[in-house]
Amino acid sequence: MIRRPIRQRSRILLGIASFVVLLAGYSWMSHRAHVENPRNKTLPNFSQFVEGWGRIASGEGGIDFWGDVRASASRLAVGVLAGVVIAFVLGLAMGCFPILEAALMPPISFFAKIPPTAMLAVYFVFFGVIGIKIFVALIAFGIFPALAQSITQAAQNDVDDHTLYKSYTLGASNFEVVWEVVLRQILPRIIENARLQIGPAMVFLIAAEFALADQGFGYTLRMQSRLQNMNIVYTYLALLALAGLTFDWLLRLLRRQVSPWFGD
Amino acid sequence: MKRIYVLACTLMVAFAVGCSKSDGDKGGDGETPVFSLAWSEYPSWSVFGVAHEKGLLNKDEGKLGELEKKWGVDIVLVQADYDPCLAEYGNSTVDAVCMTNMDSLAPATGRDSVAILPTSTSIGADACIAVGIDSLEDLKSEPTYGLEKSVSQYAFERCLEVEGMKPADFEFKNMDPGVAAQAMQSGDENVKSIMVWNPFVLQTLRDRAGSKRLFDSRKIPEEIIDMVVVSKASLAKPGGDKFACALIDAFYQVNEMLADENTRPETLKALGEKFSSLDVADMEIVVEETQMYKTADEGVKLFEQKKFQDDTMPMVVEFCASHDIVEDKPTIGFGDSDAQLNFDPAYMKKVQSGK
Repeated sequence: MIRRPIRQRSRILLGIASFVVLLAGYSWMSHRAHVENPRNKTLPNFSQFVEGWGRIASGEGGIDFWGDVRASASRLAVGVLAGVVIAFVLGLAMGCFPILEAALMPPISFFAKIPPTAMLAVYFVFFGVIGIKIFVALIAFGIFPALAQSITQAAQNDVDDHTLYKSYTLGASNFEVVWEVVLRQILPRIIENARLQIGPAMVFLIAAEFALADQGFGYTLRMQSRLQNMNIVYTYLALLALAGLTFDWLLRLLRRQVSPWFGD
Repeated sequence: MKRIYVLACTLMVAFAVGCSKSDGDKGGDGETPVFSLAWSEYPSWSVFGVAHEKGLLNKDEGKLGELEKKWGVDIVLVQADYDPCLAEYGNSTVDAVCMTNMDSLAPATGRDSVAILPTSTSIGADACIAVGIDSLEDLKSEPTYGLEKSVSQYAFERCLEVEGMKPADFEFKNMDPGVAAQAMQSGDENVKSIMVWNPFVLQTLRDRAGSKRLFDSRKIPEEIIDMVVVSKASLAKPGGDKFACALIDAFYQVNEMLADENTRPETLKALGEKFSSLDVADMEIVVEETQMYKTADEGVKLFEQKKFQDDTMPMVVEFCASHDIVEDKPTIGFGDSDAQLNFDPAYMKKVQSGK
């Protein structure tokens, strides 16, 4: 039978085993590359990694780790926040009032289909290339269409008509129904969808930082890969993954806190 | 479902084999040795793209152009952006790459390299373009945007030095040259000064009213050298020297087409087609500012020149070390096979003598 549950212990062990296999595979490739060319920098071995970590820690070689963290984190935070706020307002409005949906959904669906990274140049023209504006715009407009669409759907489908009739019968105004009934029920879905948009948001952030930042993860990744300091590049990539996992976990926590009834 | 599974497994195995093959020996079909060159669009490197169009070299594996037959090698031409080209060379996924003298230092610390052919030098092709800034004094208060830790920053600081200024008084901020040029062309008020290379220089001067050159690489002739670099290990393989010779031969043959008045306009057009939106008249300026080493004589002369050996290269190495571009300075040699980066005119001489 499919989906037969396995024990928690084997689950954890298998997870660890996967990472061990990946690491072993990498070590083997790195080892072979170093046999061929002891100075190989593109598949760094452990001692090269340690040396790279030393440089990150001491800020040598033009690497400003905390500066990168601050720059990228603030851009991501403001961008995601802006995107979520726009999507929240428009999505909820469209979900509750068909007249707004009829007017706004077509252009939103249309622009949702254009990858923001494909129109980077357009963003540069409209939002300039200096300061945080361009990053916020790219992330916010990048994640807002998908988010707005899913919030609209949640508002339409997750709240059944009976609940609405009951609320109106009890004398609620339109505003009260939206605020007290609809929003409460779809809040966990909003958080869940925002969580899923963190990935795309990071894509947009890195894409923009590749092109025009003078600080941030995308900037350092591009610079260091051009200089072929792959020990730094791999470390930064691993940190990006950890950051992504952390956001994920935090938003899950938030959702459980806000609506424990929703379950996992 | 099962079929998809089998397919996925096969792909993964193929991928693994492909990976392990790339750092091993690329034998090809056992008859003609296969070598690869990574190149990006640039006036003196697009020459290799033109060589493919003219049938001198064939960019695909297993197909031979005129010169590949002559020298008995199969050359694969890999076109990519400049950054990825450097990465491919550093990874050892290609045997040779087109890059500048300063960008060759970082890869050379990881992979012993031989510069076999200077293709051109920038004489005005790297320029600082400003809007509303009239003097170097005024430039001090405005940041200049360009690609950090690259030839742009080098040219920026060196030109200021030549002008008797202190580069430390000026602010150079990182931005992709394409983006910086676009920002200036579209009239972004925050971008008042950019340091970029061609075609961005000419495009910006053409498309932004009031933009002008503040200074350019004419002040530092023969310091920025565009060239073809081959890994020492690849050269040592059977047919490696033939590969070098075929590349050099192709470069000089396209240059002959450029020199011939009958074929010049057409060749210039082919050269500029993908590279930029510039017309033939502008391309004339481009090739003037990117002065090619058209013949083996000119190429050999540069590599054997005292100033290049004793002043320019040490200066470039010093700059790269002081700007964190390299941690350990590679050893530089001129016809010295032990150096990590060896400028070797031997292959040009070989082509010149026709062997």
